[in-house]
Amino acid sequence: MTVKVDGVAREVGGFYAMALDTERATFRWPFQWREFVTQFWRIAAVSIGPCIGLMLGFSFFTALTFDLLMVELGAPDVAGVAAAVSVIENLGPIISVLVIGGAGATAICADLGARTIREEISALEVLGIDPIYRLVVPRVVATTVLSVLLMGLGNMFGLAAFYSVAVFFHGATPGGFVENLTLVVGASQMVLATAKAVVFGHIAGLMGCYLGLNVKGGSKGVGEAVNQTVIYSFVALFFFNVLLSAIWFEAVPG
Amino acid sequence: MKRGTKPEPISHEEREWAAGLENLGRQVSFYGTALRSSAKALTGYKKEVLRLLGEMSLGTGALAVVGGTVVVTCLLTFAVGGIVGVQGYNNMDDIGVSSMAAVFASVIDTRIIAPAIAGIGIVATLGAGTTAELGARRVSEEIDALEVMAVRPVAFLVSTRIIAGVLVVIPLFLLATMASYWSSELWVKLFYGQSGGVYDHYFNRFLVPLDIVMAGVSTLVATALAMLIHTYYGYHATGGPAGVGEAVGKSVRSSMVVVLFVDVAMALALFGNFQTFHISG
Repeated sequence: MTVKVDGVAREVGGFYAMALDTERATFRWPFQWREFVTQFWRIAAVSIGPCIGLMLGFSFFTALTFDLLMVELGAPDVAGVAAAVSVIENLGPIISVLVIGGAGATAICADLGARTIREEISALEVLGIDPIYRLVVPRVVATTVLSVLLMGLGNMFGLAAFYSVAVFFHGATPGGFVENLTLVVGASQMVLATAKAVVFGHIAGLMGCYLGLNVKGGSKGVGEAVNQTVIYSFVALFFFNVLLSAIWFEAVPG
Repeated sequence: MKRGTKPEPISHEEREWAAGLENLGRQVSFYGTALRSSAKALTGYKKEVLRLLGEMSLGTGALAVVGGTVVVTCLLTFAVGGIVGVQGYNNMDDIGVSSMAAVFASVIDTRIIAPAIAGIGIVATLGAGTTAELGARRVSEEIDALEVMAVRPVAFLVSTRIIAGVLVVIPLFLLATMASYWSSELWVKLFYGQSGGVYDHYFNRFLVPLDIVMAGVSTLVATALAMLIHTYYGYHATGGPAGVGEAVGKSVRSSMVVVLFVDVAMALALFGNFQTFHISG
């Protein structure tokens, strides 16, 4: 048991150390623009499809349930409120967790893990190039920016899904739906959702990089590291989601 | 085609389409083989199924350190159940009926959170782990070795895992549902201080017990499909250690989307047609 606890503490400590190094290296001049753009594009290419797919799935799912409730209450137009609350406040951040953790961070981990196994990272260090500055920082910045952009894209599809379920299937009036969108959800909720996306993207990027750079033992190691990336990032990000919501509800009344 | 005209060369796009179709066909035939071999797996490899059952529920390696599939999935539903509690209470409070916060827990937790989040948790833990393991075996040529020893690799490796995955889902789903209920209850009762009787009353009034069974069915179907996808990507991993990592990433991406679409389809089929909310009488 002591060995286990020791191992966990070591991992957590290593992660924090790398995170600190990364934050420091982020402001080192010059920023690696070329690597940033390449990585941004790569992560976007694997994330956009799942983002739209997950958002459509989740929204249709939620919309069907909510609208049955609304129709029973005799107020199908209030579906607009449900749409805004579900998509902007809850689904948006959760989808960005799932996509950035499940798609983006896994791609980063697989890429860096393969490089670690082939000892390319050690070669970089021998050449006097800091892998944190050269490889990790552009990836973490890319996931952070991308997380916000993906949330916007996902929200658009989510609202469209809610709209079509309410208007085409349950007979809500289009005008009523749109007017009710901003009844409960306003700029402050949007700010919270954006802040969540920034935090999630940042942490998922760091986790993917940390686990990728610390791969041990052959082909099984890379597969396991990618698996761990999914698990750890989901657990951590779901936890942060609740935490940020609770803090926000306490700090910003109404 | 007119005689004398040169045949058009196949364009790049056409080639990509053809490759996509071929890939799809290969997947479907693999799924057919895997499902057909499950009888063989149940009769011939019962011990392996039992071993995998234990491994999948409690996890191996780093996953076992954090408590295995069970703990991870319950943590996810616990976290989202908390959001349902917080959000439900605040929104109901806005319109002055905070006493009805429990409605969110009994309806949303049961119908949406439990199947969707538990499904995703299972993909992330069971599914991705399966891909990683099968991929590593493929790359280190263990699967070829099985063939040489005249063991049917699909029955022994793939079908056993699908069966074990489907079996492990049922208790896992129930635990995940409980975790989401507990978490919603905890936030509303302890954090916002609502009285226990009010919460329990509305929770029980709006809970349709049959919904839990139906959500379980949809999770079961979704997991079976996800396991098929994960075993396919693992079984067909190529290109060394990098290929295994890629395969795990790809399988997670596609099976997450598939799980949600199965949930939507099942929701349409199971909840879409009949009214189970009776508020206005």
